[in-house]
Amino acid sequence: MSAILTAHDLTVRYGDVVALEAVDIDVPRGTSIAVLGPNGSGKSTLFAAAVGLSAPAAGQVTVGTDRVAYLPQQVAVDPMFPATVRDVVAMGRWGALRWRRRMSGRDRELVAQAMSALDIDHLARRRLGDLSGGQRQRALLAQVAAQDAELLLLDEPFTGVDRPTEDTVRKLIDAWRDEGRTVMVATHDLARAARDYDLVLALNRRVIAFGPAAETCTEEVLAATFAGHVARVGGLLIETEHRHPGAG
Amino acid sequence: MESFLFDPFQADFMQNGALAAMLVGVLCGTVGCFVVMRGTALLAESVAHGVLPGVAVAVLLTAGTSGDPDKAAILCGALAGGVLTAAGSAVILRRTRLREDTAIAVMFVFMLALGVVLISRVDGFAVDLTSFLFGDVLSVPDWEVALTAGLAAVVLLVMWALYRPFVLVSFDRRRAASLGVSVERTELALMILLAVAVVVGFTIVGALLVLGLLIAPPAAAALLTKRLPSMMAVSALIAAASGPLGLLVSWHFEVAAGASIVLVAVAAFAVTAVLRPAR
Repeated sequence: MSAILTAHDLTVRYGDVVALEAVDIDVPRGTSIAVLGPNGSGKSTLFAAAVGLSAPAAGQVTVGTDRVAYLPQQVAVDPMFPATVRDVVAMGRWGALRWRRRMSGRDRELVAQAMSALDIDHLARRRLGDLSGGQRQRALLAQVAAQDAELLLLDEPFTGVDRPTEDTVRKLIDAWRDEGRTVMVATHDLARAARDYDLVLALNRRVIAFGPAAETCTEEVLAATFAGHVARVGGLLIETEHRHPGAG
Repeated sequence: MESFLFDPFQADFMQNGALAAMLVGVLCGTVGCFVVMRGTALLAESVAHGVLPGVAVAVLLTAGTSGDPDKAAILCGALAGGVLTAAGSAVILRRTRLREDTAIAVMFVFMLALGVVLISRVDGFAVDLTSFLFGDVLSVPDWEVALTAGLAAVVLLVMWALYRPFVLVSFDRRRAASLGVSVERTELALMILLAVAVVVGFTIVGALLVLGLLIAPPAAAALLTKRLPSMMAVSALIAAASGPLGLLVSWHFEVAAGASIVLVAVAAFAVTAVLRPAR
């Protein structure tokens, strides 16, 4: 199986701060990958480097498709931003349409499918800023879905969303994987990472482990990944220091 | 009533003034939507005042320390000053970890002070500082109306062509980049359009008041609409109507024309904010 994302000796720095150091990974196509790590471990930086937002200080990252969709960590949306939910979802097609090409029937169909998949058809004419946090995240995920991408990079998509939205997004991630797309999800949820994804990438600036959950979600690997801040509660391993959801 | 509305516009200078003010209104009302949407009012204010050193250099180069300056050179100098102000703010922001408003304010005061220093080299302040600060809408010659129309058309054309990248960088720079938009180039293009709008606007309503046309009509339109195309249309309409209505106020009450135009635009915002149902 060919790799859809390859990082070779990838190092990214922000000033004096090393965000990623000598990362080597080959992400196989058609898989779902949980990217695990504490805040500041380089999860967001890995995604940012993959879409060209962060330049490598050394090494390189190569993406084997031009159809990449990226959901950044949740940010505050200006409540007065002049766009309806349908406008926001349609923006997902603009990357393919470039500057002025008009939306085709296929583009409109992809937008409609994305809105249905996230169950936001009834919100189409509402202003994005008027929605609740969960509804807003659905709209932003629908924008990602509308891109019809081969590689989807979702940076903590479950932060601040309600349970129904979380369930919807999980089903969507499974559906994308079943369709042969590759989905990488940055998450802090150790239990879900071990259970719901094909592969787990344990990251703490360097790659601690990358492979099937059975090999990577061990107490030893997770202790190294989270610098010892994991605990076993019942049968589950949980992260005990997840204090800064804005960092990553 | 008919004579109240139309008699003032029998005079050529009022016709030219109204036409120029309407063109500036459409321009500032449209570009201003991106200023309001991106929360860059301070940058717009900074650019408006940053034109001063450019104006001063143009005056010194074309008129020496006395005499009549070349108006085209003043427009070019103003544009250069405005772009330099915005570019300087971006450089300070990139090289330091200061907050954006601090970086912009540092450049703002630097350019303003530099402008005053340069102007003070001109004998007896020969440059009409009042017209720089408050505009000169009642003495707009035909060629300046044509130039305003041309520049407004170019800006609106660029805005039409780059509409999608402009919206994407305004919505979220990271998403824009992931969709293949060159964020820095797009923001540079937006900044240049803002500088052109400011330069065209300051000749009509002055550097102190051009911000009024960039902010008040889009702010009113934002309260009335929920999509950007309609916001731009309503904003351009309010700003364009403010021109002749402001001139009417100025004519009948014998008050400053540029300031009257801006007062009408701000009044449109106030009425909208009061009458719109509370949220």
